[in-house]
Amino acid sequence: MKPAAFDYHAPGDADEAVALLAELGDEARPIAGGQSLMPMLALRLALPEHLVDLGRAEGLRGIEERGDSVWIGATTTQRTIERSAAVARAVPLLARATPLIGHFQIRNRGTLGGSLAHADAAAEYPAVAVALDARFETLSPRGARTVPATEFSTGVYSTDLEPDELLTGAVFPVWSGRCGFAIEEFTRRSGDFAVAGAAVAVELDAGSCVSRCGIGLFGLGSTPLRATAAEAAATGSPSGDVTPEDVGRTAMAELESVPADLHASAGYRRHIGAAVVARAWHRAVQEAAHA
Amino acid sequence: MDGLRTAAARYAGTRVARVEDPRLLTGHGTFVDDVVRPGMFHGCFVRSPLARARIAGIDLSGALAVEGVHAIFVADDLNPGVHEQWYTLIGRDVPDTPRPPLAEGEVRFVGDPVALVVAADRYVAEDAAELVAVDYEPLPPVVDYVTARESDELVHAAYPRNVAGDLGGAPLADLAPVFEEAAWVVHETVYQQAYAPVPMETRGIVAEWSAGELTIWAATQSPHEVRLFCARLLGLPEHRVRVVMRDTGGGFGQKVVPQREDMCVMLAAPKLPGALKWIEDRRENLQAAGMSRHEHGEARLAFDADGALLAAAIDHVQDVGAYPVPWPVGTAAAVGMLFPGPYRVPAGTFSTTSVFSNTVGRAAYRGPWQFESVARELLLDTAARRMGMDPVELRRRNLLRRDELPYVNPTGMPYSDVTPLETFEQALKMLDYDAFRDEQRAAREEGRHLGVGTCTYVEPTTAAMPLYGTEGATIRIEPSGTVNVYVSGGSSGNSIETTVVQLTADALGVDIADVSTIQGDTAITPFGGGSGGSRSGSMTAGAVAETASVLRERLVAIAAHRLEAAVEDIELGGGQARVRGVPSVGVAVSELAEIAYFHPEQLPPGVPPGLEASGRYRAESPIIWANATHVCTCEVDVVTGRVTLLRHIVSEDCGPMINPSVVEGQIAGGTVQGIGGVLYEHLAYDADGNPITSTFMDYLLPTASEVPDIEYGHIETLAPGPGGYKGVGEGGAIGTPPAVANAVADALAPFGVEITRLPLTPEAIVALVDGGARTAVPR
Repeated sequence: MKPAAFDYHAPGDADEAVALLAELGDEARPIAGGQSLMPMLALRLALPEHLVDLGRAEGLRGIEERGDSVWIGATTTQRTIERSAAVARAVPLLARATPLIGHFQIRNRGTLGGSLAHADAAAEYPAVAVALDARFETLSPRGARTVPATEFSTGVYSTDLEPDELLTGAVFPVWSGRCGFAIEEFTRRSGDFAVAGAAVAVELDAGSCVSRCGIGLFGLGSTPLRATAAEAAATGSPSGDVTPEDVGRTAMAELESVPADLHASAGYRRHIGAAVVARAWHRAVQEAAHA
Repeated sequence: MDGLRTAAARYAGTRVARVEDPRLLTGHGTFVDDVVRPGMFHGCFVRSPLARARIAGIDLSGALAVEGVHAIFVADDLNPGVHEQWYTLIGRDVPDTPRPPLAEGEVRFVGDPVALVVAADRYVAEDAAELVAVDYEPLPPVVDYVTARESDELVHAAYPRNVAGDLGGAPLADLAPVFEEAAWVVHETVYQQAYAPVPMETRGIVAEWSAGELTIWAATQSPHEVRLFCARLLGLPEHRVRVVMRDTGGGFGQKVVPQREDMCVMLAAPKLPGALKWIEDRRENLQAAGMSRHEHGEARLAFDADGALLAAAIDHVQDVGAYPVPWPVGTAAAVGMLFPGPYRVPAGTFSTTSVFSNTVGRAAYRGPWQFESVARELLLDTAARRMGMDPVELRRRNLLRRDELPYVNPTGMPYSDVTPLETFEQALKMLDYDAFRDEQRAAREEGRHLGVGTCTYVEPTTAAMPLYGTEGATIRIEPSGTVNVYVSGGSSGNSIETTVVQLTADALGVDIADVSTIQGDTAITPFGGGSGGSRSGSMTAGAVAETASVLRERLVAIAAHRLEAAVEDIELGGGQARVRGVPSVGVAVSELAEIAYFHPEQLPPGVPPGLEASGRYRAESPIIWANATHVCTCEVDVVTGRVTLLRHIVSEDCGPMINPSVVEGQIAGGTVQGIGGVLYEHLAYDADGNPITSTFMDYLLPTASEVPDIEYGHIETLAPGPGGYKGVGEGGAIGTPPAVANAVADALAPFGVEITRLPLTPEAIVALVDGGARTAVPR
């Protein structure tokens, strides 16, 4: 469990980091908190020739409230997000998802950008981002661009990022109005990656009809997923007419293939998926109704 | 025994702070990886990626070309160096299973060591290991031990039907009339998955050859076993081998004897110009350090109409993997012999078969016969439910009472000095069983599913096998009056240092701060068996008592002479020798030491100079029996299958406690391992024999979040040995899985669920709930 040899680079800002990635090509990997990449290096599952450490890069860290959205820099630690009053106020779903990531020691090192760019389909942040319609900001030698969260993950541990492109931050829209948020996951142990999880945001109109909702699923596919059919079925309906169990069932019915491993067969995962969606939906609607 | 009489037992029985803790908690422990020698090499094993294959060739050229690689050894280099290979623990005369240092001709499990790379550091060693090109010709593996006896393929050609050995009692047919005529018979096959000890510190060894002498630093539970084993392995005189260990970070049986990798390092060391260090990494530990617990048993219990047990029988089959360590067949017999447990069972028998597979070898693990309790206690709950009887009431009718002891169980186990019914009642009282049943009823009204489960077991400790039957101690009262006590040690977290210091301070009547202990170095300490078989408390107590009695006699003689008093009137205590009834007249132990070393002319006639003695204790009984009851309560989420443990209560009789904190630490550790085994841990293989849980991402250990506060009750009855002490190291790991499983079964009883298969994963529980509904419908 000793990593193979690699060259280490510590760029001073995002531009320098991107230039390095462009120069070093496919054999370079950016590293932030290292909570996923370090074990992969130790197990020699990842064998990069170059590591580009973003830890000292300026301009990638911080939490900024920008009117109807909140920008969070890619190298902002999960622990910083967990303790941020601004995040708790403006993006409650993100705040509530954070304590579910690993253990506090992991969150002290782990970063928002690391979690999003590593794109583990069972991780919390990518699912929160798709549920809230977040936008990701990237930088490459070709300039900056913005990618909708729903288009970012392209497969198992793979994203829309080019090899020389860096995730620099994420913009989370503030859901104002009569909103409720809940995240529910089922793990074998406290702190584990989810067998299945659901992040739900619901907005009710004055008549308590569902005017908008987002259901992000994790652990239930090769990428984080949006339960669009379940959202469509609920949107426009009086919230009291939408039974949480139906939302869960509809969300599972639209899944094409569900992963299976030692801890959960595909069938059991769907069973758990339906339960966590139902529980999260119920709690989110309850909160919105009392907002 | 006489040696245990002390002037004042100030320390035994109290929660003295552990003497190991200051160094361990401040990072000053010395584990094997902390050992650094000049010019030391680092080893890394090339391991088989296949469950079974013929080795057609090995090309080392690429790996040898890596800068920093010193040597690479394959089987032809090391295996011929084996002179004798057997464990003192088991003896040389058992029909032991094969155990080559490196794989010869054929690899037999994923992780099988094929070559040993020796390099300047571990990084380089791993780089080179990747370049060792082994030409494997895959062979069909025997992955599933359950069907291995019918397989056309053989793990070892010399073992037909893949059977490593079998043992048994009287034929089951002899009991047929009892089972046929019984009012109630439960007959179920219980299956337990593979799991493993997983010590926090993995295995590791440093071996240094110097002018005909070999020095070994090892992560071990038994430095003297390592020395004896190594001397035989290399054909060296025993006194030319020195084994040193200071801190070992958990063993639980995995480090009770040297394994194949240790053999390789021992054999390679004389071929190298510097020391060789091998530190196992976690992936190796989970792939190659051994599995345990993988077994099933077709179990039968017969009862009369009132629920009194009439007979108990089990046909047990266990997976021993490719290279079990040590010989597994004898331990398997203990499963059968202990299956009747602490109950009044008039008739019983067993058979047991050990079966090879192309998976990692079976290794010793805390309570290796634990399956006897799993099978029996699960069946007792099932029986009670089928009879419509409370499982607690069924046990109460059958548990042995004190007035029935000694009691020989139907397989010949002679129980004595145990208190199964007392621990049972104490644990239930701590729970308030009736109140829990009320709470359970109320919860069911709300659709919540609570359950309670118990396990009562009786356990052989301090078995006087040849390696374990005696234990020595040397005590030196130094010229200043401070004390060093030397015992073999082998503490792997089980506080033998604290225990020995407490007992010695009491035995000599000195302050505990004036006593230190030196352990784990075969060049310095007396021979001893080390840590294993729940023996350390009783055996080291005996060794200390034997030795201290000599020194106490000498201190008293010198003091009497000095104080011009009669020997019978001298009392030792508080670091002083005083005249009984005249507290103002006394002399300090330090002054007596000064006389003993520097003023021999002041010694009474016949008393030798100096204050150093060695003694050896011989076990008074072949076995010291210990017993306990575990009671667990839980809540089951029947939608997700999640089990939340609410309370876990252990009432244990390990005799008088030398240190209650140490006792409870041992119980807690075993209990957590048991919780892991029943709910989380699974050393799993796929159908091709690939291990699929070789990191902590997949091999799930319970963490602080999953474990409830453990509550302790103590019954203290005397064993026939020093101080009346009994063993306590293993029991927690035995009693926990059945208690937890029974709690889950109780929670799910309204669904008609019966549990016969472990582990109880959430998915398994959902399947049980869905498939249950045999006898009742949930509310």
